[in-house]
Amino acid sequence: MDVLSGWWDDYFWGAVVVGQVFICSLGLMIIFGLFGAMAKLSNNRVAQKIAGAYTVIFRGTPEILVILLLYFGSAITLTAIAQIFSPEIKFVDVPPFWAGTIAISIIVGSYATETFRGAFLGVNPGSIEAARALGMSDLQTFIYVRIPEMWRLALPPFGNHMLSLIKDTALISIIGLNETMFVAKQAITVTGKPFTMYIVVGAIYLGFSTIITLAVMGIEKFGERTTVGAK
Amino acid sequence: MSFDLNLIAESLPMMLMGIGITFKLLIISGFLGLTLAIFLLLMRISGRWYLSFPAQVYIYVFRGTPILVQIFIIYYGLPQFETVRDSIFWPILREPMGCAILALTLNTGAYVSEILRGGVLGVSKGILEAGSALGMSVRQKFIYLTAPIAARLALPAYSNDVISLLKSTALASTITIADMTGIARTIVADTYAPYEIFISLAIVYMIFTFGIQKLFGVIERYLGRYTQREG
Repeated sequence: MDVLSGWWDDYFWGAVVVGQVFICSLGLMIIFGLFGAMAKLSNNRVAQKIAGAYTVIFRGTPEILVILLLYFGSAITLTAIAQIFSPEIKFVDVPPFWAGTIAISIIVGSYATETFRGAFLGVNPGSIEAARALGMSDLQTFIYVRIPEMWRLALPPFGNHMLSLIKDTALISIIGLNETMFVAKQAITVTGKPFTMYIVVGAIYLGFSTIITLAVMGIEKFGERTTVGAK
Repeated sequence: MSFDLNLIAESLPMMLMGIGITFKLLIISGFLGLTLAIFLLLMRISGRWYLSFPAQVYIYVFRGTPILVQIFIIYYGLPQFETVRDSIFWPILREPMGCAILALTLNTGAYVSEILRGGVLGVSKGILEAGSALGMSVRQKFIYLTAPIAARLALPAYSNDVISLLKSTALASTITIADMTGIARTIVADTYAPYEIFISLAIVYMIFTFGIQKLFGVIERYLGRYTQREG
């Protein structure tokens, strides 16, 4: 383990970047998923078609391709736009952090679309009728009846989406984000110990996955506290 | 910047030359992964802790770390040890192709084993009780009752995993393999036309995804041919 001394802080900051990517992409993923689910559930034909295409495209394309396309595509577009204003500019890019974060949240958002849609449709119709019978407005029904049932239904698959997100962050190193994979690559050129360095990366990701799994389990338990007696 | 259709016409046949490698990766690691998954499944449901515990740890580690890290550990990491370089496996581990197949196999094996376990757990108790009443041994019950029903139950989830495996094969391009994605990345590096190349390749992958879905739909209908009337 001597070879690792001196690299711990680099790995730590790499892990911080992974955490940052995860948090940002989690927020974006939820937004993409909610919009997708809303479009799929709406009565608008065009919105349905767009959301349908969105889920088909991003569930059928390799993640790495989406990341490369978004990064290099945005770079040449931005460069072309920048050159209109000042021709001496050679290269402009979206920072790999954001290109990668947006890419993985679009991808996982396409899976979340189906999860949110399923959760919405999974709400017990009897609960909705009961809410109507009690004279609740649509908004009240949504807040007090639909949401409490929906998040419980969506949580287990949503936990899997979070795990996909955290694992997809590793792919962003391909476009040059200085997260743990990138740290390992640097450490290898210095120490010549690739196995050790990549095992550390694996251990870091395993740590993240464990935290997410435990958190989801905890929240699931919390969600079930009022339903245990009903079973 | 413009969308160059001629470039697509020129480069698409070049990218399609990688189909063979993409499919080789998909089929070999898909088959080996399924075999591994069945072994892991048998270990998990054996009821013996010294078999089920290692299988559980294996599944936990391989599902908790990114496939890219696993590929890098095997391809860049293993040669760090002299024993690996002197072993009989070296001819396989020296080649990027062997490493990619190994990594994809180990990875998909962990996922598929969980899917199969879901299928086994879904087999209704009544059927197994009927088997016991007929005097079937544990092994007979597994072969004639549990396995066929579990396979049918696990099939829809398994098809999703084959699609993820197809998408994961694109990561082989990170260790110098010239699969479709690898060729596309080379072309983009030469022409600097990410939109044309990556989008047309994404469409190719989507067609394959669609084909896999259709194929599994046919298999599902075939396996479910006795259950049609009940439903």
